[in-house]
Amino acid sequence: MDTTIQYIGEELFWGKLGNMLIILAFTSALFSSFSYIFALRTGEDSWRKIARKSFLVHTISIIGIFGVIMSLIVRHRFEYFFIWEHSNKVMPMRYILSCMWEGQEGSFLLWMFWNTVLSWVVIYKSREWESGVMINVSLVQSFLGSMLLGVVIFNHKIGNNPFILLREAPDFANLPFVQMPDYLSKLADGRGLNPLLQNYWMTIHPPTLFLGFASTVVPFAFAMAGLMRKKYTEWIEVALPYTFFSVMILGTGILMGAAWAYEALSFGGFWAWDPVENASLVPWMTLVGAAHVMLIYKARKHSLLSAYLLSIATFILVLYSTFLTRSGILGDTSVHAFTDLGMTGHLVFYILFFLALAAWFLVKNRKSIIIQHEDEKLSSREFWMFIGSLVLLIGCIQITITTSIPVINKLFGLKMAPPVDAIDHYNRWQVPVAIIICLLIGIGQFFKYKQSDSITVRKRLLIPFSLSILVTVGCAFILKVYPPQYYALFFASVFAFIANMDYMFRILKGKISFSGASIAHAGIALILLGALISNSKKQVISQNMKMVDLGKDFPNNENIMVEQRTDTLPMGEYWVVYKGKELVGVNTLYTIEYYNLNRSTGIKEKQFELKPIIQINARMGNVAEPATKHFLSKDIYTHLTYYVPEDKEGASGDWQAPKTHTVSVGDTFMLSNSMVIVQGLNKNIDKNALQLTDADIAVGAQLLIEDINKNTYNAEPLFIIHDMQVYSKEALVDTLGVKFSFGKIDPATGKLDLAVAEKKANKKEFIIMKAIIFPGINILWMGCILMILGSFIAIRQRIKSATTKPVS
Amino acid sequence: MKKSYIIALAVVAIAIAAIMSTVSDSSTYASFAIADEHPNKEFHVVGKLNKEKPQDYHPEVNANLFAFYMTDNEGKECKVLLNKTKPQDFDRSEQIVIIGKMAGEEFHASDVLMKCPSKYNNPKEDIKATTNGN
Repeated sequence: MDTTIQYIGEELFWGKLGNMLIILAFTSALFSSFSYIFALRTGEDSWRKIARKSFLVHTISIIGIFGVIMSLIVRHRFEYFFIWEHSNKVMPMRYILSCMWEGQEGSFLLWMFWNTVLSWVVIYKSREWESGVMINVSLVQSFLGSMLLGVVIFNHKIGNNPFILLREAPDFANLPFVQMPDYLSKLADGRGLNPLLQNYWMTIHPPTLFLGFASTVVPFAFAMAGLMRKKYTEWIEVALPYTFFSVMILGTGILMGAAWAYEALSFGGFWAWDPVENASLVPWMTLVGAAHVMLIYKARKHSLLSAYLLSIATFILVLYSTFLTRSGILGDTSVHAFTDLGMTGHLVFYILFFLALAAWFLVKNRKSIIIQHEDEKLSSREFWMFIGSLVLLIGCIQITITTSIPVINKLFGLKMAPPVDAIDHYNRWQVPVAIIICLLIGIGQFFKYKQSDSITVRKRLLIPFSLSILVTVGCAFILKVYPPQYYALFFASVFAFIANMDYMFRILKGKISFSGASIAHAGIALILLGALISNSKKQVISQNMKMVDLGKDFPNNENIMVEQRTDTLPMGEYWVVYKGKELVGVNTLYTIEYYNLNRSTGIKEKQFELKPIIQINARMGNVAEPATKHFLSKDIYTHLTYYVPEDKEGASGDWQAPKTHTVSVGDTFMLSNSMVIVQGLNKNIDKNALQLTDADIAVGAQLLIEDINKNTYNAEPLFIIHDMQVYSKEALVDTLGVKFSFGKIDPATGKLDLAVAEKKANKKEFIIMKAIIFPGINILWMGCILMILGSFIAIRQRIKSATTKPVS
Repeated sequence: MKKSYIIALAVVAIAIAAIMSTVSDSSTYASFAIADEHPNKEFHVVGKLNKEKPQDYHPEVNANLFAFYMTDNEGKECKVLLNKTKPQDFDRSEQIVIIGKMAGEEFHASDVLMKCPSKYNNPKEDIKATTNGN
């Protein structure tokens, strides 16, 4: 590249500052980690102080990098590739943070930021464990920091630098555009934030989810610190509140993603077993397992190995999930995986490094962490908690295997594709898992640690058990035909909810501060119950009635065409009218009115209207966003599955604006309903019939038109020069609603211009929509709130008991 | 035998069952030729939309039936009937994956996945849109 070009108007200072901060962040994290190692080995406080200062420098650098990027976004400095790629001038400023995490660099930065926040909490709240924990966290930070370096070592690029200049970005480096010294003044705007992410969920979902991912490092680092310090058991109690915090935040983040998918994405539901969703769910499940075996250890001093394995596995699985979503390996199996930015090797190394580190310490200390103990009694709480963790683990194994199909293919050179009916495949496994988990959630708290009096337990469980049976039998009349496993899950989740409420009010006497676990468990029960009801009883009301039955290969008739007109189309218990569309910003809103029939008057009364959206999105293709009407007992989800893009200008009468095709003899081209073959030129036109003289010229274009059913039509538009004037005689194919005119012929190349107009009737104003009723979805959202609230109460209680404990 | 061993055995057994179920439920990436040899098995076929051939979508007759021609990666062409609405931006697709099975001369697809050139990143195209003049 020509380095002598003096570019005009660039602000290079900020990029240099940013790069300096990245290098500082990376080296200070590495230095901090090594200093903490010395602090741990020598026990000298001076090392610890140096390490901590170094980590402070690291923290400030991270905040600095954030600040620099923010300031560049706000000031629209498009000479920086990241800024150009992810922001523009018209974007609402409230989405500025979304620009940060749209790019991989920004999301790694967000992850690092949360890690520093958590680290300072650990440093101040759990001083005793500072060195051991921080060795690991700083090491993680070094790895994450290296993702931002963007340096090339031995022909291998490490990380992606957010401060790379637009003119140096690989895509642009050699374009003539960036050779112009004043290229920046020609760069009017940035590419802009993907409109899909311009949604309020997208401002809160990623930070929550990343806090969740980040927080899994804490139990991991505590477990590792336990091994490194040879304090094999003491870490558990200290790490417990952090672990439950992680459970709460990661759970919230996943549920927010589900809410976003339900509100703004088009797959018609809140959970689709998408690989990216699975990748965040699996670590959460192992984390829940980890938290529960840690409770077992705290109470009964066994299951230590499980506590280690699950805490470590959770963090490794978070890394694996990062690998799945960011290496591009999911490719065509997921809708929202990032594309490959050449980080695959880096991420694999990252996973293997921490896996090897953990494995080495575990093997080295195996004798101290495998505790031989007598078997738990069946009447002990810990036995059932342990079984619950195991069942979760089994669920994880199944999800991980199927989600990893692309990885398995790569490793073994196979050509496996995901199951055709993925949802059914996962549900077949996960419904039984959910049933067992619900039953365990229901009975768990009624058992005491070590051993319980089985008669008391049985007596206490009798009321919730019989009540749940009653509810299930009662609801069976409403639910009607239902596969047995769904009845089982229905019963199990109702039982889990009632049992936990019963435990809270009858045994704990309604003391809220001790009821965290009960409330959170009741929440989980409601989430599963809501998911079961809304999914299994969902009703697609947009059934296409006039469809011809095409046999079992074509069972889907869930989409229905609605023409813009005044009479109504029956749909479930409603009648629907498509009123029309309006353009608001980048969105086209389609107004759909829902009517109810008033049986006494016979008049259809308008109930509500929904405005599903089509977003004109040059980057992602146009995107459909559903609209949902929320009622207490159900939601009505309405989604456009097909629409006709805006008419072009220049249309007149019955005809759309003509389109010109420049073709040669032998060419073919496509129309909306057929294919045209230019067979030849006909120079033997009967001029007399056209009242032309011999001096005039008349050429016909012989066209063969074929529709998809292989019906063929002939058309021959004429090109005429009469008295030095050019004319065209149109040829019409009435059945297809197409007319051709032959406007020009280039004698040099032999190419002809054919203008083709299609009838507007070929393009009626209509939409195709899908409408689904989701009953009982509010049970799910209520469960989410209970789960978060309950976890919060439980964490507060754990912190309280941990801080007051040293006295006793 | 101790309970823990029984439990460990049970976990291993279930894990093996999970692997087997994944293998048996999983579909295969294949060509039209292979799909043709196993007419009752469902496959994922990767290929390109044939933009030279007509497409057929008549929502007023059936909004859930869309026909088009696809050429698989081995160059074999086949008519595809998709039991869905015509995907938006279908003509812009660079690569498509259809899921379904062969029925005689036609492929009956229950779903289609598309890869559009601009779906994620195409900075070279985008830079044109954000500059003035040249």
